[in-house]
Amino acid sequence: MAPIAVGDVIPDGTLAYFDEQDQLQQASVHSLAAGKKVIIFGVPGAFTPTCSVKHVPGFIEKAGELKSKGIDEILLVSVNDPFVMKAWAKTYPDNKDVKFLADGSATYTHALGLELDLSEKGLGTRSRRFALLVDDLKVKVANVEAGGEFTVSSADDILKAI
Amino acid sequence: MASRILKRSMMMKSTVESLRIAAAAASRHYASVAVGTDLVSAAPDVRLQKARTWDEGVSSKFSTTPLKELFKDKKVVIFGLPGAYTGVCSAQHVPSYKKNVDKFKAKGIDSVICVAVNDPYTLNAWAEKLEAKDAIEFYGDFDGSFHKSLDLEVDLSAALLGPRSHRWSAYVVDGKVKALNIESAPSEVKVSGADVILEQI
Repeated sequence: MAPIAVGDVIPDGTLAYFDEQDQLQQASVHSLAAGKKVIIFGVPGAFTPTCSVKHVPGFIEKAGELKSKGIDEILLVSVNDPFVMKAWAKTYPDNKDVKFLADGSATYTHALGLELDLSEKGLGTRSRRFALLVDDLKVKVANVEAGGEFTVSSADDILKAI
Repeated sequence: MASRILKRSMMMKSTVESLRIAAAAASRHYASVAVGTDLVSAAPDVRLQKARTWDEGVSSKFSTTPLKELFKDKKVVIFGLPGAYTGVCSAQHVPSYKKNVDKFKAKGIDSVICVAVNDPYTLNAWAEKLEAKDAIEFYGDFDGSFHKSLDLEVDLSAALLGPRSHRWSAYVVDGKVKALNIESAPSEVKVSGADVILEQI
C-alpha cells in the first residue's frame, strides 16, 4: 500500500478501545471521522520514550488549542492491543481529549501504508510516527517521519498547518 | 491363493499408511512440549528479549538472550501467559508467583521466569507496575517464535489480542522439562499457578 497522502480519502478500518465503563469497544474509523475535522496521529509503540515523553504529551497539552481551531477529535493510533493502550492512557491522568485507539494487528496501519518493521528492536511490525489532519475523511495534511525522528509529526507542527 | 494376495495387499496398504503418517509427523516443524522435552534443543535458534526500558534497549544494542543462557545447568520455574495488562494475568497469575518466590528459593530454584508474547518495553512497564521485577524475570517473545516452537501458541484474535500463548507453567532442570501444566482455557488459572508447581518440584 502506498503511504497515505494529501488529497486521499482515509481508508476505513476498525480500531479497539476501552470506554468509560471499561467495556471493550470497536469503532470504525469512518464513523469516528465522517463529517468532522480530526487529527489522527500514530506512534511506533506504547511505553517507548519518544512516544511517551514527547509525542503524546504534545498533543495532550495542545488539545485545547487544537479544539479552539475547529478540531473535533484527536485520535492516537498504535499497533498495540487495547489492554496495553488502556494502561498506557492511564499514565496520562490529565488527558481529556486524546483518544487512545488500538490497531492490534496493524491492519489499519497497513491500510494507511504506514507500517514499519521494528523487529530488530523487539517490536515487530509497527506504525511510522505520523500526524494527519483529516477533514470529512479527506487528508489535508500528512506529516510522516522518515525514520525514528520527531521533526514533522508533533502537535506544534500540525497547529502551524491548520 | 486369492485370499493370500488380498491379505498381503492389505498389509502393504497399512504399511504405506503408517509410513505416510510417520512422514507427516516428521515434517512437522514444531514439537509439542512435553515432560522430557529438552527446551534448548527443541528450539535451538530461539531467543527471548529481557524486559527493559527503551534506553536500556539502546545501551544493550537490543541484545536478545538465547534459551541456553536461561536454562543450562539451572533449576527454573517458567510460566507463560496471554498478555501483559490483561485481567487474569495481572490480577492472579503473576501475583501467585510473586508471593511464593521465597518458597521457590527454598526449594533450590535458581530463577522464576515469566514469558509472554509482548514487546520487552511493554512487558517491563507492566512488571514495574506489578512491582514484580525483584521476584520474577520477565522475558518477551515478541514474535511468538518461542511459543510456536513448543506448540504453545493460540490465536486470541477473538479477544483482540492476536496470536499469543496459552497460559502454562513448567519446572525445567538443565533445560529438560520435569513438570508441565497447560490451562485448557487461557482465562483460567487452575493448573498453571505457583501453588500447583510448588508441589511438583
